[in-house]
Amino acid sequence: MISIAVSSQKGGVGKTTVSINLAHSFARAGVRTLLVDADPQGSVGLSLTRQSRLLAGFYDYLADPGIPLERLIVPTRLETFSLVASGQASDYEAGGGGMGAHLARVRAFLRSVAGRGFDLCLIDTAAGLFGVTGDVIASSDAIMIPQQAEPLGIRSIPKLLEGLNRLRVMNPRLTVLGVLLTMVQNDLAESTEAAGALRQLLPPEMVFQTQIPRDGLFIRASARGLPIGVLEDGAGAQVVFDSLRAEIETKLEPNSGHHAARG
Amino acid sequence: MDPIYPWLDPVEVRRLAERLMKPDREPAMAVADAGFGEGFVGYASEQVAAVVTQPPPPPREESPPAVQAPLPPESPNTARGPFLDRITRFRDWMRHNFSATGIFILDREGAVIFDESNHGRLHFLARSLALASRRPGASAGNVHVKIGAGATLEVIPVETAYGCLVLGAVVPDALDPPSVLAVMDALTMVASPPVES
Repeated sequence: MISIAVSSQKGGVGKTTVSINLAHSFARAGVRTLLVDADPQGSVGLSLTRQSRLLAGFYDYLADPGIPLERLIVPTRLETFSLVASGQASDYEAGGGGMGAHLARVRAFLRSVAGRGFDLCLIDTAAGLFGVTGDVIASSDAIMIPQQAEPLGIRSIPKLLEGLNRLRVMNPRLTVLGVLLTMVQNDLAESTEAAGALRQLLPPEMVFQTQIPRDGLFIRASARGLPIGVLEDGAGAQVVFDSLRAEIETKLEPNSGHHAARG
Repeated sequence: MDPIYPWLDPVEVRRLAERLMKPDREPAMAVADAGFGEGFVGYASEQVAAVVTQPPPPPREESPPAVQAPLPPESPNTARGPFLDRITRFRDWMRHNFSATGIFILDREGAVIFDESNHGRLHFLARSLALASRRPGASAGNVHVKIGAGATLEVIPVETAYGCLVLGAVVPDALDPPSVLAVMDALTMVASPPVES
């Protein structure tokens, strides 16, 4: 199994949208995929399940060693696609303790997921690189960093890189899949210029070729509690996430032997 | 005005990025070497780097410890009390001789086998320090770290009949080598299997 954290320094960059639709793309391709909502705001759950506020989830697992993983897994209509909601342990919303406080439980969680037969565990984290999010990154095989294509977001890149270098000390096997440009607006000069500047700034292998456009379809999909590819006119957007999936598979295989095998 | 470049140093950003993209630039921590099993969580570099001091292991040939005998002398033929009783007596001895508080003992898997600290973060720190103190081919040495004004966490790994136990205790000042040696001897005695009468 491979675990991928979807994380960013800044909030509001599209982590949840990317996580849901990328997980759906993997699952459609036959990869047994578990999407974990590690954001205390519960965005994945709020997007995909009406009863998410009633479900035990990831933060409950961290808080209570007695909760088995099986109790947390929510199946979907797609056999290869399951979810774990954020859960009820709302005290984590205040920050969830210091770095390292939950490392053992996060690692136990990932071991359980692997033992349950999943090929891929995709973890949508809260913004920032500290607290539980830091522990998730320090426990994952790989990280993907969505980054909104706008100047302010690009300016935060040095801080992001410093934070990731610190976490890499704790987790030397962490593969940095790269930065994914999101909410790109081709009709807005500032957006395309910011995207171009980021590509100039970072090594080419650190920025995904695929970029996610700003699209009203995402809002419609979220409103209906569906991945975008399930919408009747969502096929075009689904191609974008299939392309992202293919890029990730290419990055993972030669680097480390990590492979999200199809079931 | 350029909306991005005046705000950052492209050379530094490139350096940080290239460092990140190098696979496995540092060897993974050899968790198995620490003897704490898969559940062991490693150590956060921020916690260890700044404040840890690691004195050299105390030479066994040094003069006898300045502290009084750790436990009431027992004849080898005397059956000891239950393990918990022995640990309780050890705890009292630690309090009496070193003003130690918050004493806890972890086993080789990192599990808590005795605890009066009620502070999981101290356990985490002790496990981390014990791991950090290990060197290939050598037994772990004691390590201490200042955790507050007039409070030092002393971490003493001790090889016993039950494997490596890690003692943690909060003391006013770091223990000197003879005292560490006395504590190690005492804990070794506490953890020795009872002798049948």
